[in-house]
Amino acid sequence: MNCIETKDLWYRYTDGMPILKGIDLQVPAGAVYGFLGPNGAGKSTTLRLLLGLLKKQQGEICIFGQRLEENRISILQKTGSLIDSPSIYAHLSAMENLMVLQKVYGTPKHKMQEVLDLTGIGNTGKKKAGMFSLGMKQRLSVAIALLNAPSLLILDEPTNGLDPSGITEMRDLLRRLNQEQKITILISSHLLAEIEKVATHVGVIHQGSLMFQGTLDALMQMQEQTSAHVLETSDNARAAAMINDRGMVARIENSKIIMPVVPKDKIALVSALLTSNNIAVYSISIVKSDLETIFIDLTKNK
Amino acid sequence: MTIALLNGIQSEWLKKKHTAATWLILAGAFFMPVLTLTVRLIHPDATRKENMQETLWTMMHYRNWAAMSMFLMPMALILFVSLITNIEYKNNTWKQLHTTPQTFRVIFLSKYIVIFIMTVQLFLLFHIGIYIAALIPSLLLKDIQFPSAPFPLRGYAKAAIYFFIDCTPIIAVQYLLGLRFKNFLVAIGGGFALLVASLLALNWKYGYVVPYIYMPLGLRENRTFVDPNVSRHLCALGYFAVITLLSYILYISKKEKS
Repeated sequence: MNCIETKDLWYRYTDGMPILKGIDLQVPAGAVYGFLGPNGAGKSTTLRLLLGLLKKQQGEICIFGQRLEENRISILQKTGSLIDSPSIYAHLSAMENLMVLQKVYGTPKHKMQEVLDLTGIGNTGKKKAGMFSLGMKQRLSVAIALLNAPSLLILDEPTNGLDPSGITEMRDLLRRLNQEQKITILISSHLLAEIEKVATHVGVIHQGSLMFQGTLDALMQMQEQTSAHVLETSDNARAAAMINDRGMVARIENSKIIMPVVPKDKIALVSALLTSNNIAVYSISIVKSDLETIFIDLTKNK
Repeated sequence: MTIALLNGIQSEWLKKKHTAATWLILAGAFFMPVLTLTVRLIHPDATRKENMQETLWTMMHYRNWAAMSMFLMPMALILFVSLITNIEYKNNTWKQLHTTPQTFRVIFLSKYIVIFIMTVQLFLLFHIGIYIAALIPSLLLKDIQFPSAPFPLRGYAKAAIYFFIDCTPIIAVQYLLGLRFKNFLVAIGGGFALLVASLLALNWKYGYVVPYIYMPLGLRENRTFVDPNVSRHLCALGYFAVITLLSYILYISKKEKS
């Protein structure tokens, strides 16, 4: 069952330019869904629409199987969010910030200290949130998002402003929340490396269109398919012709021979064939296109 | 709805903690009483005579309300209503607030009610200040007796209610501007411009059309030119209702709530 489902979601700004072009998002319950795309691709607009911060223009949004328009309050009761930059009251302490929302959510008071400890800012005392570092503000925003014990977390670039150890901690926290508390997490980012370490599912958006949606494994498979053997020889043209004569595929690119990944015994055969025909083999290597390359390809080519 | 509103009010009340709005209420409420008290302490002979007069409380009421209704109270309202409303813009928290499980109506009303509670606070503290300013000289200076006339609670309360009604359009307009514009200066600037316009309109027959004029009109000497047949209290309530409705419509119809 999908926790979030959108159908043919369009959004246009006042000048008529479409920001979203028929987005069909499907976030399975219990997943960590990485929502990827370059800056300006439409990630934040999609998340804002999901939270009702933008008025929907066309399409349908269902969360927890309920239509957002008619069930906004009950959906928000079970949703925690962090949109863009930290959203906190600078003149209040971390605890006071949580108290402001605790009154609205009606959550037990002990939950406030719990979420502060969970996010690692449990000992900030009376220090005003405005005096916090950006990383601490980000943690407080996450604490606020967790206050109502949500079933769904919507996080827009939550690691913005965090140092490397902060990013690792945030990733561990999200993983724990997902595995231990079964919280569905929709997390947006423009950094694939960040998403691939935590996501189970991925959606790639570019210029308002969803380019890819599926499991991280499916994306990995794509990676496998685009990997290749690269050979450097003393006579690339003759070598490529000989390989092609043996029923394998080889092409020359940037003074190197590129061929699809083949089993080890076949590559040994190729090596033996070339050396026996007085072609020196300088190197044989496997080049894997990393996910970053796939991401760039997806966002470039379509 | 009622419980959600009560929770919303409590939440909004917490937000004003440590803000300048709280201090503004105190300063606004006690500025004139402290000034009156200082004058009364500097001139003990006049104070001695006043305290024996039946008209002491009327004099105290006039002295304090004269400056308060003309300028200080509207100014305090312009500043603190704008400050309270601007909290969300200043902290970039509208998006946070709008993703809490509250209806937009509850959010709108919670803030508005907190502003009204603070206005009541301002009025109460101001009157307590007047009362204290009348009594303190007798406590500090031996030869000044306590006021002989009883405190006219009913008369003071009635006048305060009328002044309260007269200030509602100021609150409504400032709330609308504060919700509408991110820039704090727009609300403050707009408020001051309307206040100056209202003071100028005191010399105009149709001055009652300016929504900030009703507090200054509370003083008898300001009613020379403005048409006396028009009820300023009804006008104030009318403006308050219309501007509040407009403010609510503009708020809920805002396309982007972050």
